Amino acid sequence: MPDAAEEIVPVAARRPWDLSMLGPYFFILPAVAVMLAGLVYPVIQAFYLSFYDWKIGTDFDDAPYVGLRHFIRMIGDEDVGESIWVTLKFGFWTISIEMLLGVSLALLLEKPIRGASVFRTIFILPLMVSPVVVGLIWRYLFDARIGWINYYLGQIGIEPQVWLGDADLAFFAIVFTDIWQWTPFIFIIVIAGLQALPSEVLEASKIDGANWWQHILYVKLPMIRSILLIALLMRLIDVFRALEVMYILTGGGPGRATELLSLHIYNRAFDTQQLGYASAISVLLIVIVFFLSYGILKMGNPLKEKADI
Amino acid sequence: MSYGLMKKTTATVAAILCATASFANPYEKFEGTTLVVSWPALAHFSAAEALVDEFTEETGIEVEIDALQYLKLRDRQILEMSKPEGEYDVVSWVVMWKGEYVSKGLLTPLSQFFTSGSLVDPQYDIDDVAGAYLQNGGVVGGKKGYMPGVSGALYGIPFGAETSILAYRKDIFEEQGIEVPTTYDELAAVMTKLHDAGIPALTSRGKTGHQVTAGWLLHLAPLGGKIFDDEWNPVVNSPEAVKAAEFMRHVAKTGPVGIETFGFGEAAAAFLQGDAAMHLDTLKIAAMSRNPSLSKIDGKVGYALHPVGTRCGSETGGFAMGIPANAPNREAAFLFIQYLTNKAGDQRMVELGGDPVRISTLQNNTEGFDDYPIVAEQLPCADPDWRPLIPEWNEINIDVLGQALTQVITTDDPIQPIMDKANEELRAIMEREGYYTWATYRAAQ
Repeated sequence: MPDAAEEIVPVAARRPWDLSMLGPYFFILPAVAVMLAGLVYPVIQAFYLSFYDWKIGTDFDDAPYVGLRHFIRMIGDEDVGESIWVTLKFGFWTISIEMLLGVSLALLLEKPIRGASVFRTIFILPLMVSPVVVGLIWRYLFDARIGWINYYLGQIGIEPQVWLGDADLAFFAIVFTDIWQWTPFIFIIVIAGLQALPSEVLEASKIDGANWWQHILYVKLPMIRSILLIALLMRLIDVFRALEVMYILTGGGPGRATELLSLHIYNRAFDTQQLGYASAISVLLIVIVFFLSYGILKMGNPLKEKADI
Repeated sequence: MSYGLMKKTTATVAAILCATASFANPYEKFEGTTLVVSWPALAHFSAAEALVDEFTEETGIEVEIDALQYLKLRDRQILEMSKPEGEYDVVSWVVMWKGEYVSKGLLTPLSQFFTSGSLVDPQYDIDDVAGAYLQNGGVVGGKKGYMPGVSGALYGIPFGAETSILAYRKDIFEEQGIEVPTTYDELAAVMTKLHDAGIPALTSRGKTGHQVTAGWLLHLAPLGGKIFDDEWNPVVNSPEAVKAAEFMRHVAKTGPVGIETFGFGEAAAAFLQGDAAMHLDTLKIAAMSRNPSLSKIDGKVGYALHPVGTRCGSETGGFAMGIPANAPNREAAFLFIQYLTNKAGDQRMVELGGDPVRISTLQNNTEGFDDYPIVAEQLPCADPDWRPLIPEWNEINIDVLGQALTQVITTDDPIQPIMDKANEELRAIMEREGYYTWATYRAAQ
């Protein structure tokens, strides 16, 4: 039997460079090209555009160069600040509740009990509905005059509420709709993680006398920590790019009560035709998402853990 | 006669016959052309589809319609019209976009068609088109940039244009013993009385942005207010403008539940479904109330003039149709617009459930259309200057006034400070866009 140390030979030393080593790069080239064209190029263009005052319908060559004026304006713009605040509030409430509900339901339904599979199927239905349809469904449900919610509240003697016309109620409505749609996402990810846990560890903890609560808190949740972080990261990014549901449901109103940053950018770009300024705010959005993502990944990079394995 | 001479003669005769034939039918030259038309998905335009089919049958010109929700039209149209070669031959715009379209060089002046003997129908009679509609929807230039004047030019013909009238429920007014209001003071009193009787009074647009501003503007002009004075100084914090905002708050408090979320469709639906006693907005409500698929109140609606405040002043709005500068088939597009808006086309629109734009059509169709005499009487009061249709209007309308007025109708905050703040924001926009450049220059001299 050969010595194990002899087996570990650096690849470069064993295999001199030849053309076939380009193979992997060749195969990922289409994906990289699509990424560059669809992601990197627009981001660079947005950055470029943020230095110009361009209006759709006019020749870009005629657009005046304004330097950092858009960025300076953005710093003092109360509306941008308000949109960031609304987005952060929205993210806090939706992600907290979705994580709590999603994880709880996954823990309850991971066991093969009667009817669990039917419930799981029903439960993930909102995920399959397109965001525009979700917006329309809930707009009609929340409608003050003809909505079902006010109808049933009326049946139990509660006055009709202007759900989408009152700042607090409208914010509640967008949070509620997001929770309805995205809790199943957390549920699916967590339940998949729970079912993949090695049974030996779980059995060992039981043998060691861990009660139900300790079993979850000290065994299961730490073991799916990387999955929870991925779910958190994906939801966080989703919050900053959420647009369709809010656009249909409230349009950002009343006032700017439900105007998330992404919707604010859209409104500035297309309603009021300030494309350069909207691009500058987009750059801010990218920076915010980058730092938030970086912070979460610093908490424990699941991809790195995987690589270490 | 030699064979060659005979051949030449035959060819000449054939050419003359062809030429004569083309003079006999102005449409023949364009037979087989396909026009692409961009217009809104609204009742008037849906009704016009039958007239479009008749146009194709009569002229041999095919038409493809790209119908979109009306506030979504602008993005699509601007993108299309800013290409070197566009898809659209005809675009229908909300009147408030005309200044922007022309300032960006996106539209073709119609004078080049109206001076073409082979295109213009001598019986078209443009003077018969309601002047307020024509000025408001089609003319760009003039002293303010969006009104008639020697520097103005015609870019569009009104189609689906409108003014405002009061529609009210005759049965409710009778039951409650209420007289039809003719002034704003009377209207406010009627609203209070209906509300006290548990009846939602006046429906209105109130959704943040364009809609709530449109609702307020309907009251601003008759109450004597304006957006700008003659020097482009904003005056939305004037006593008249504040009074219009106070009235708007009264509308929200006494009207159907949910006004804060109503666009035009929702506001109209509240009236048509019997959830409001009055509708003070576009005349389109009359055709909608006669449509059984939209209305539960057909036969119960009466019409009256837009109440008067310090002056009479109803809105002018809706749509006009024109031809993009990059349209592939501009002459055929002109023939299409002419066909839809000539006297026969206007009359046909009435039969199809649309709204006429010609005075003669209003006068010739009084039977079965209670609203037409009111509209004809209202039109002299229709104010084409009830909102400033400058290129910056969209930003003013949505970003500034649309936010301030939402605060007015959704809170009990004092109104004057809200409008003062809006006035300052408005001034900053005008400053940024260079409206005070000349004044500053002159002052420096």
